[in-house]
Amino acid sequence: MFEHWFWLLATSVCVLWYSTITVYVAIRGAMDIKSMLRRLAGNGEEEQE
Amino acid sequence: MTNFSWIDGSIVGLYIVATMIAGIAVRKYVGKVEHFLIAGREMNLYLGIASLAATEFGIVTCMYTSQNGYRNGFAGATPGILAMLAMFFVGYTGFCVKPLRDAGVITIPELFEKRYGPRIRWAAGVVIVLGGLLNMGVFLRTGGDFLVAVCGFDPKYLEITMTALLVFVAIYTVLGGMLSVLVTDFLQFVVMSGGLLAVTILILVNVGWTDLVAAVQKNYGAGGFNPLVKPDMGWKYIADNALLSLAMVLTWQTTIQRLLAAKDTKTGCQVYTRTSVFFLCRWLIPVLWGIAALAVLDPAEIGDNTLLAMPTMLSRLTPVGLMGILVAAMLAADMSTDASYMLTWSSVIYNDILAPFHKNQWSEKRGLIVSRSLVAIIGVFLLVYGLWYPLQGSLWDYLRVTGNIYLSSMSVLLVACCYWKRANSWGAAGAIICGAVIPTAFLVMEQLPSTRHFAKEVVGPEYSNIGTYIVVTAAMVIGSLLKPQTKPVAAKGY
Repeated sequence: MFEHWFWLLATSVCVLWYSTITVYVAIRGAMDIKSMLRRLAGNGEEEQE
Repeated sequence: MTNFSWIDGSIVGLYIVATMIAGIAVRKYVGKVEHFLIAGREMNLYLGIASLAATEFGIVTCMYTSQNGYRNGFAGATPGILAMLAMFFVGYTGFCVKPLRDAGVITIPELFEKRYGPRIRWAAGVVIVLGGLLNMGVFLRTGGDFLVAVCGFDPKYLEITMTALLVFVAIYTVLGGMLSVLVTDFLQFVVMSGGLLAVTILILVNVGWTDLVAAVQKNYGAGGFNPLVKPDMGWKYIADNALLSLAMVLTWQTTIQRLLAAKDTKTGCQVYTRTSVFFLCRWLIPVLWGIAALAVLDPAEIGDNTLLAMPTMLSRLTPVGLMGILVAAMLAADMSTDASYMLTWSSVIYNDILAPFHKNQWSEKRGLIVSRSLVAIIGVFLLVYGLWYPLQGSLWDYLRVTGNIYLSSMSVLLVACCYWKRANSWGAAGAIICGAVIPTAFLVMEQLPSTRHFAKEVVGPEYSNIGTYIVVTAAMVIGSLLKPQTKPVAAKGY
């Protein structure tokens, strides 16, 4: 019976994870893309100078 | 009859167009080979998490994990628990990955050259590419099988559908390299997560937790919940998957490429720890889908082809609209995986196998042309190999065995390189040869009618894999001890 509860808990964690953490990662990830492209563009301009 | 309406087609079409635009738009930032292969080491934490989570979940992942759920119940998710633990352990302690990232290399074989010499770097590159391409070779067909089964398409359109998909992926990967991969991975992460969540909730609502548990109990008894009491699993299955998980976390090229693309070592380790739960999700959620197939479908209609149980179940449960989201999510998963895998193997070919030719002296322009050409060539290989290789037995078994062609030797080489001062080129050469020969021999024996029974029933993939790790470790130790020490070894681990 312990195993049933274990898998129920693990499944709940996964569903909860996908419904919450992924939203946070998506928002912060979009900000990371902006800053990464800004830095790459800056590096390119420095090299051209 | 198709289950795929114009509404579903519009959702999928919109997604593919958005991905192509995003992937192609970032090509202007690629000015150097380093930008193309590792995004100029500018990847931040959350982009790394999204990219790794998207890359490590493809249609092929969904298919083999759900097959594991259909064939083993909840116990089929055991590799996911082991992978999560391995990711967290390695990220938290920095075991091997810290010295690897600190070394400032582009690939693992480049690190090996510092300890074992250029020949070992070259040989390591060859086995990494060999194992990786064999592993990836079945991705395309498996993805096509999923789409045909879930959408109800005519199977004669499988080749053309998957070819078109591969061409889309190849276009933005060839143009933008790792930058395109990261940006499209991010989009794919968002779409994939939404689709996975929606379908899982649909299954939990329509089938219900109680019926899922009852189906596992009825078909597999206690063994469906506990791998230790399942006759065809047991300790050998856990030991095999634990070794594989650790080796994969340490040396799987797509995972390592995120570590090496991270802006610093701390970020790289954090990507590992914070992606660890996704490694549980990528197993447990499709396993749940496989169990739903077990609960809903009549075993007689599935027969021996258990790989198609999950998509067949989804084709019946998924309504119009959600079908489009599901297919877009699965295409997202597949495209991110294909793009990353094409790029990662091409990076090893360029950086390590071609190292004796370019000697880091080619111009950036020439390096980019060669790198882009390699991505395109790998795409062609995928198309050809994916269409003719006849898969025998469990898909997960095939992936484990082909992955072990390099995972076993590379993980042992990496650990020894970082932490054992006596490790040298003799031991490394012995480990690479043993690591490549044993899994390849097993694959060949599995295909030959005269040895198939011996390979599958007497030895089995678990003992083949565990034996490979033992022999590879012994080869590294014995070979290193046999080589006379000519000069004092470096004080640092690598």
